[in-house]
Amino acid sequence: MPWWKPGSLSEDEAWQLTAYLLRSNSLLPVGEELAIDQANFLAVHLPVRQVQDERGWQIILVGTLSLAAVGLYSLGKRTLIGRVNGSISNQNEGSARLKQPARPSFFHHLHPPSIPLPQARWRYTLGAGGLAVFFSLVVVVTGILEMFFYIPTPEQAGSSIQVISYSIPYGMLVRGLHFWAAQALVVVAVIHLLRVVLTGAFMPPRRFNYLLGLGLLVIILFLDFTGYVLRWDEGIRWALMVGTNLLKTIPVVGLALYGFVVGGEAPGLATLNRFYAWHIFGLTLFLIAVGVWHLFRVRRDGGIATPSPELRSDSRRITRDELVRREVLAMALATGGLILAATLFMPPIAPPISDPPTILTEEVRAPWFFLWIQQLLRHGGAFWMGVGIPLGALVILILLPYINKPVPDDQRGRWLPRAGRLAQIIAIGVVLAWLALTVLEMLE
Amino acid sequence: MTEDISRRSFLKLAVQGLVAISGLLALDGLRRYLSFKPAPPPPKRFEIGPESDYPPGTRLVLPEIPAVLIHDQDGYHALSLVCTHLGCVVERQVDVYACNCHGSRYDKSGKVTRGPAIHSLPVFQVERNQDGRLVILKG
Repeated sequence: MPWWKPGSLSEDEAWQLTAYLLRSNSLLPVGEELAIDQANFLAVHLPVRQVQDERGWQIILVGTLSLAAVGLYSLGKRTLIGRVNGSISNQNEGSARLKQPARPSFFHHLHPPSIPLPQARWRYTLGAGGLAVFFSLVVVVTGILEMFFYIPTPEQAGSSIQVISYSIPYGMLVRGLHFWAAQALVVVAVIHLLRVVLTGAFMPPRRFNYLLGLGLLVIILFLDFTGYVLRWDEGIRWALMVGTNLLKTIPVVGLALYGFVVGGEAPGLATLNRFYAWHIFGLTLFLIAVGVWHLFRVRRDGGIATPSPELRSDSRRITRDELVRREVLAMALATGGLILAATLFMPPIAPPISDPPTILTEEVRAPWFFLWIQQLLRHGGAFWMGVGIPLGALVILILLPYINKPVPDDQRGRWLPRAGRLAQIIAIGVVLAWLALTVLEMLE
Repeated sequence: MTEDISRRSFLKLAVQGLVAISGLLALDGLRRYLSFKPAPPPPKRFEIGPESDYPPGTRLVLPEIPAVLIHDQDGYHALSLVCTHLGCVVERQVDVYACNCHGSRYDKSGKVTRGPAIHSLPVFQVERNQDGRLVILKG
């Protein structure tokens, strides 16, 4: 008690409260005591369902996944194939199964019979793009599960999250996975963006896919923000106020945009409904559509960026099976990490939004991925700081493949190609500025 | 022959024009559909009780407006507590008002002493209705 701060009452306080409620309903005579020693024979103050009693199972799950990961890791030593004098020699003991099926499925489209070894290494890809796909899947699945119980009204949003967290078996895990996968998605998406720029892979022929990727980053940020607002608690109140009021500062279309997003003159039921609809349907639809397109284009643009075969210093390749093994290994580790995070750290929840507003006395924080905008807003006009500069940063990233000089064939497929200097410096600058502003805001 | 082509191209042009007009009409319908505001506008008048509750010298925070009711030698007026920057409610500290969202500061009379806010806190008129109760008129 209260429900947004479980466990904050001491045992004694809980007993006093129970006694008070009983007495108010004339069930406990005045003068009679109610105390902890009556717990054994009085069935009015039963212990609540043990909070988080699934934790043990969750830890066991992390354990089995880790063991599976060890197994997968040790399976991977003998699956290399080499290219000798232009013909593929099979170094495997078993067959490498290099045949393409007659009608490749989307899975086969994404997993060609073999891919170049140097560019399939973790230290080249960082696994960030693949992890982003995986986290998206986790978010979609756990999000569907949350939809069975979440109620998108100002009165019930908070308490339905409470029910998900404390009453439904594995509810805390589902919410935790949804939350942590969504945060991780932002992080791996930014790492993937940096990787793509710093390895020169953003240049044609992959320029269009780079732009699709930037679109995905924007969609992810909107999804994270709309999801954050669905808590509808005091923790999101001012970020929602600031975020929507920023729309009003946009010239000409600002007010119409505000009405479209908020559904009234101030945030309320209509706002929550609209954010819910965008979160579970509109934005998710965009995420899936653009995401599948982005994945499809990876192969269509020739797979991961490599120099042409005659320019490669290492011509070895890995098979489809090996690629899938590495992906499953990454997924096992990521799942274990997510379950661990969800078990140890509960996603935030605060008291529901009260009307009239409690006068602000505490510090107010934007969600972490928008702290940089909060910091910017302290330093100038709302439109330029809150809308202009973020859009400007996006435009700079969009322009990278247009202002950078072409990356020659022999510089492809490795870190920091010389021809990509300009874009590398700009991208690192943008990310450093983002980090610096975030840290500054955390120190406020 | 030429007559036939011009007839066809006329029909094509007409079809394109009609489709475009239909599209524009539909877009306008969509615009009107989306601009409907389901929630009623927030209230503009707040009755705050009898005058006697607010003797001279009063500086009282009324969170539901949110505003500070001031009763001084100039009579009654109310100072809005909504930051003019991006709408957070400002906190009253002794004799200044501070916004915890982006650090704007206002002095006792609502004038900006530190950005990013540009405009002063607005002053609301306070009226007396026929029963002698005070009414704050917002905006």
